[in-house]
Amino acid sequence: MQALPENQRTKSAADAGLSAPLFLGSPIFSARDLSKSFGPVNALKHLSVDFYPGEIRAICGENGAGKSTLVKILAGIDRPDAGTICFDGKVCPLSSSIEAQRLGIAMVAQELSICPDLSVFDNIWLGSVDVPFLPRRKELRRRAAEALRLLGAEHIALNTTVGQLTIGERQLVEIARMLTRNARVFILDEPTATLSDSEIDRIFVALARIKREGHSVIYITHRLAEVFKICDSVTVLRNGEMVGTVGIAAIDRKKLIEMMLGRPFVEMYPEHGYSAGDPLLQIEGLSVPGAVNDFSAVVPRGDIVCIAGQVGSGAEDVVRTVAGLVYNATGSVRVNGKPMRLGSAEEAFEHNINFVSGDRAEEGIFRSLSVTDNLVATRLRALSRFGFLNPNSLRAEALRLAARAGVDQRRLRARADDLSGGNQQKLAFGRCLGGAQAGLLVLIQPTRGIDIGARAEIYQLMHGLCSEGYGLLVASTDLEEVVGLGDVVITMYRSRQVGNYRGKAINMQDIMADIIHPLK
Amino acid sequence: MTRFLSAFFANRTARPFGVLVLIVVVLGIADDGHDRVLTMSTAYNVLQQFATIGPVALALGLSMMVGEFDLSVGGILSLAGCVAVITGSSSPVAGLLLAAAVGAFCGLAQGTIMTWLNLSSIGVTLGGLLTFGGLSYFLTGNTTIGYDRLDVALGVNAPLLGIFSIRSLTAIVLFLVATLVVSWTRFGRDLLAVGSDRRAATIVGIRVSRILIAVFVISGLLTAIGGGLLSYGLAAASPTALADTLVPGAAAAILGGVSLSGGKGRPIGIAGGVLVLSMLRSGLTAIGVPPFAHWIVTAAVLFAVAILDSEELSRRVYSFCRAVGRRSDVHPPNGSSILFRQRADH
Amino acid sequence: MNSVGGRASEKPASVASRLGSMHLDKASLIQGIAVVAVVIFAVSTPGFLSTTSIRSLLTTVSFVGCVAVGMTFITLSGNIMSFSIGASMSATTIVFMASIALGLIPALILAFLFCAALNGIQGWLIGFFRANPLIISMAAYSMIIGSAVYITGGRGVYPLTNKADILTANLGPIPGPLAAFLFVAIAGQLILSFTRLGRNIYLVGTSPRAAKAAGIEPWRTVLWAYVAAGLCTAASAVLVAARYRSGDMEHGIGYEYHAISAVLVGGTSIRGGEGSVLRTLVGTVFIALMQGLLILRGFGIELQYLLIGLIVLAAIMLQWKVRT
Repeated sequence: MQALPENQRTKSAADAGLSAPLFLGSPIFSARDLSKSFGPVNALKHLSVDFYPGEIRAICGENGAGKSTLVKILAGIDRPDAGTICFDGKVCPLSSSIEAQRLGIAMVAQELSICPDLSVFDNIWLGSVDVPFLPRRKELRRRAAEALRLLGAEHIALNTTVGQLTIGERQLVEIARMLTRNARVFILDEPTATLSDSEIDRIFVALARIKREGHSVIYITHRLAEVFKICDSVTVLRNGEMVGTVGIAAIDRKKLIEMMLGRPFVEMYPEHGYSAGDPLLQIEGLSVPGAVNDFSAVVPRGDIVCIAGQVGSGAEDVVRTVAGLVYNATGSVRVNGKPMRLGSAEEAFEHNINFVSGDRAEEGIFRSLSVTDNLVATRLRALSRFGFLNPNSLRAEALRLAARAGVDQRRLRARADDLSGGNQQKLAFGRCLGGAQAGLLVLIQPTRGIDIGARAEIYQLMHGLCSEGYGLLVASTDLEEVVGLGDVVITMYRSRQVGNYRGKAINMQDIMADIIHPLK
Repeated sequence: MTRFLSAFFANRTARPFGVLVLIVVVLGIADDGHDRVLTMSTAYNVLQQFATIGPVALALGLSMMVGEFDLSVGGILSLAGCVAVITGSSSPVAGLLLAAAVGAFCGLAQGTIMTWLNLSSIGVTLGGLLTFGGLSYFLTGNTTIGYDRLDVALGVNAPLLGIFSIRSLTAIVLFLVATLVVSWTRFGRDLLAVGSDRRAATIVGIRVSRILIAVFVISGLLTAIGGGLLSYGLAAASPTALADTLVPGAAAAILGGVSLSGGKGRPIGIAGGVLVLSMLRSGLTAIGVPPFAHWIVTAAVLFAVAILDSEELSRRVYSFCRAVGRRSDVHPPNGSSILFRQRADH
Repeated sequence: MNSVGGRASEKPASVASRLGSMHLDKASLIQGIAVVAVVIFAVSTPGFLSTTSIRSLLTTVSFVGCVAVGMTFITLSGNIMSFSIGASMSATTIVFMASIALGLIPALILAFLFCAALNGIQGWLIGFFRANPLIISMAAYSMIIGSAVYITGGRGVYPLTNKADILTANLGPIPGPLAAFLFVAIAGQLILSFTRLGRNIYLVGTSPRAAKAAGIEPWRTVLWAYVAAGLCTAASAVLVAARYRSGDMEHGIGYEYHAISAVLVGGTSIRGGEGSVLRTLVGTVFIALMQGLLILRGFGIELQYLLIGLIVLAAIMLQWKVRT
C-alpha cells in the first residue's frame, strides 16, 4: 500500500470549495448549465465546469453524484436535457460518440466496452474513425503494440482473444484503445478498480506522458490516494451539482471527503428502539471464487445489516449467494439455525428468504406483467390447491400485499412498466411480504434511481418490517443510506471484509475510508 | 504435441477440419482397399453437396455471427430458384442476376423492418419465410416449372477437373470472398463486434443498424445465388423441393464454430462444417449406409453442439460433481457475475 | 453561446416511439378491425354459408388448432417455437396406428405418452441447460425423421381396423375433431389461467431471471410447458390418424409453420410472457377463414400461402417495441 504524501496544509481562503482558477489560458473543454434527468431523478443540475490543457483533473463525489452521467455527456454517449458544451472555444452539440471521437475526445467508461470474441488488436481499433474499409494492418499493429507497451502490457499478444484475458487485462486493452485515438481530451471513469498496483503505476506513467504532451485528462475515481498522487486538481460533485474545483496543493484528504459528503443529515431514517432478536441468518466463511473471500456475518431478527462496498467489492455477491443465485459459493449459511444448501433459489425461498434485486427492470419485477401478477408471483404455491388457483383469492392477496407495501390499490391491473421507479420498488418489496412468518429479506441497492419521497416511504417500510420480526441484509453503495439505515454496517473492499460497525460506532468517515481504499 | 492438439480443438474454427480429417481417415479404413469410397466421383458428390448446402450455411452463419437468425433462407432459396428458372430462358446469367437481386431485396426488406421497428430477427424472418415461400408458390402456380435450357442444367453440374463444377466453384468463390471480407475489412470486424457485444459496439460508435441490414442483404444474396444455380441444375423450379435446407444449413454453420449468441465463427469454419456434413452424407452413402443415417448424424451433431454451447452446462456439471462429493478435484468456474481467469501472480 | 436543448434523435426511432407507445391493446384493436373485415368478406362470399364448406373448414382447423394450442405453451414460456412439433405429430400417428391392435384406449395412452415424452425431453434439455430452443428442436426434428425412416422403412402404417373411427364421428351436430379441438383449447386456457403451472409459464416467459429471483426454478416450468405441448400435439395426431386411417410421416409436414402462424396472428408475443390460448384460437380461425374464403372466391393455393405469409408478417410487425 502506498503511503499518502504529506501535503502541506495551506491556510486556504477557500471555504466550501470555490477557488481561484489554477491555470492560465483558455479551457480546452467546457460545459455550461448542463442538466440531465432520468425519470424523476435529477442526475445533473445546471452544472458548469472547465477543463484545461496539460492538466490531470480528478472528478470526485459519492455514488449518484453525477460523475458518470457528466462524462458520458462529455463523450457524446448521452445527450443532456439542457446546457451547452464547448470544445476549443466553439460550441458543439455532441450528437454521437463518433462526433466526439472526431473532435478529439476519447473515453474509457466504467463498464467495459469490450467484445470478448474479438482479438486484442480488433478491440483496440474498434469503432475508430481512423480505420478505413480496408485497413492497413501493419501500421495499425505497430500503433496498437506501441499503446500496449506504454501501459507495460507487452505480454498481451495482439492476436489473443479478449475473452481469455483477466478483467484487469481487458481494462488495459480498453485503455490502450483510448491511447490510440488521436485525442486531446482523455476521460477515464474508474479505470483502476480492477487493476493491480503495478498496472496502476504504468497507467499513471502513460497519463503523465499525455499531460506532458499538452492534452487534458479527466479522471473519475473513488480512490483518494490516486487523486493526490497524480492529479493536479479535483472537481467535486454532490447530488448532481458542482461543489467546486480545487488545486491539489490547496486541499487534503480530510477536506476532500468533507467536500464530497458535506450536507446535513436528513432525518429520513426513523429511530427504532427495539432490541434485536435471535439470529435469523448466520454466515460463516462464505467464499465465491473471484468475488468474495471468507465473509462472515450474523443478521438477528429485527435488525438491518448493511454491507457497504463499491462495485466489485463483493457486497452484492454475498447477498446474491444468500438468495441462492450463485452456484459456486462455498461456506456455511444457516437460517434460523438450520443449514441451507447454497446455489438454489428455490431452497432459499423454502427458508423464507426473499430477494429484492438491484437490477429492478430485469430481475426485480416482471415488467410486462400486471401489478397483481407481480405481487402474487411468490405466493402461487401457498395459494394453490392441487395446482389450481382461484383468481379471486389471487386478487385478494394482491390487495393485501399492496396495502402492506404501500402500492396504490387502484392500480392493480396496470402494467408494472407503467409505474414510477419508486412504485416499482414497492412492488418488488410487496411480493416478499406474503409469508406467514417474518423471514429474511435480502436486498441490493434498494433505493437506486428513486426520488426522495419514495425513498422515505421505503425506509419506513423497512423499519416496519423490522418491528414485525423480519431481518434485513442490504448491500448498498449509497453511504448515507447505509449509515442511516444500518443497525450493523460491514464494510468490504475487493472481496474481503474490512470493518464491522455497530450502533454508535457507525460513522460516514470510517466507512468511506474502508471502502475506497483501506489504509490497513 | 498435446498442446498443439488441445489448442487446435479449442479453436472453434479449426474444429470442423479436425473432424474432417477424422472422417477421411475412417472412410479410408472403411474403404478396405476396394476403393469404394475415396474416389473422384465421391469427391465430386461431396462438392456438389457443398454447392447445395454451402451458400445457405454461409448465409445462416453470417446472420448468427451478427447475433441474429435468418429463418427465411428456405423461402428465399425457393423464390430465387423460381425467379431464375422463369426468367432465365434466354439469358441464364440475367436470370441468375435477377434472382440474386430479388434475394438481396428480400434481405433488405427484412433488415429494414427489423431495425426500424426494433423487432427480433426470429419473428421477422419467420414472416419472411412464409411470405417468400408463398411468393414462390404464386410464381409457379403451385406446380413444378421445368427449365427449358437443358444445356445450362447440364453445364452447371458438369464436372470440371474431375471433381468441381460451376456450382461448387461458385460456392467456393462465395466462401473465399466472405472469408476475405470478414478477416480483412472493417465491415467484417464490425460485424463480429456487433455479434459479440451489441452494447459495446454501439458505445464505441459502430452503426449497428447499418451492419444488421447489410448482413441480411448479404444473406439474401448468397441464398439466392445458391438457389438459382441449384434450380438450374435441377432443370426445374418447385416451391417445395428445397424445403429441407434450414436444418442442414444450421447444423453445418454450428459445426463450423458459429454460435447462436453471436460474435463467434468464421466463414472458413462454416466451409469446414459444410464439408463435414457433405462428406458424412456422401461417405455414408458410398459405404452403403442407408439415408436415414444422415438425419441421425445431423441430429447428433446438433444435440452435441447445443448442449456444449448451452449457458448452464458448466454450472450443472459443477453442481453435479459437488453433489457427488468430489469437491477436491473440481475447480469451480470463476465468478458469479463476470467470468474471468484468475492469474496466480495477481 | 446558444442554448442547445432537447435530445438528438434519429428519425425512425421517433416515429416508432410515438406509435410504439401503444401497447398490445391497440394492436388488438387493429386485429379486431381485421376480424370484422374478414367476417364481412365472408358473409358476402357466395357459397360460404353452406354447411359443407364450413364443416370442411372446421375439420382442418381442428387438426392444426390442437398443435397451435401446444405451440402456444412453448411460445409463452419464452422459447419461441419448436421445429420438431410436426415431426413428433407424424411419429405419434405412426405409434397410434401401430398400437391400435391393442385396442383404442391403450393406443391412445401410448400415443399421448409417446408425444409427451418426445417433447418433454426437449423441454428438459432446453430448460435444465438453457440450451437454445431452436437448435434443440432442429436436432429433435432430425432425430425423429431419421428414427422413423429407420424403423418404418419409409412406409406408413395402414392397419385394417375401424377401432379409431369413433374419433371421426360427430358429437351431435358438431364434427368430432372440432369438439376435440375445442376441448383441447378450453383445457389449455384453463391451465394457463387457473393453475400454478400456467402462471409460472407467464412468469418464466417474461423473464427467467426475475422468476429465479422470485424463487421459481425456470427449468421445471419449461419442461411442463413442452409436455403440455406434446399432449396437445398427440390429440391432433390421433385425430389425423383416425381421419386418414393411417400413420405416416407425411401427415405432419409443415404443421409447425401453420401452428406458429396461428399463434402469432392471434397476437401472442414471440418474446414470450404475453398471449393466451384464446388468442391462438382466434388466430387459427382467422387463418382458416381466410383460406376458406380464398378457395371459394376462386383463388388457388398459391395466393393463400402468400397472403398468409403477409398476414403473419403484419402480425409480427404489430409487436414493435420502442427503441431504448
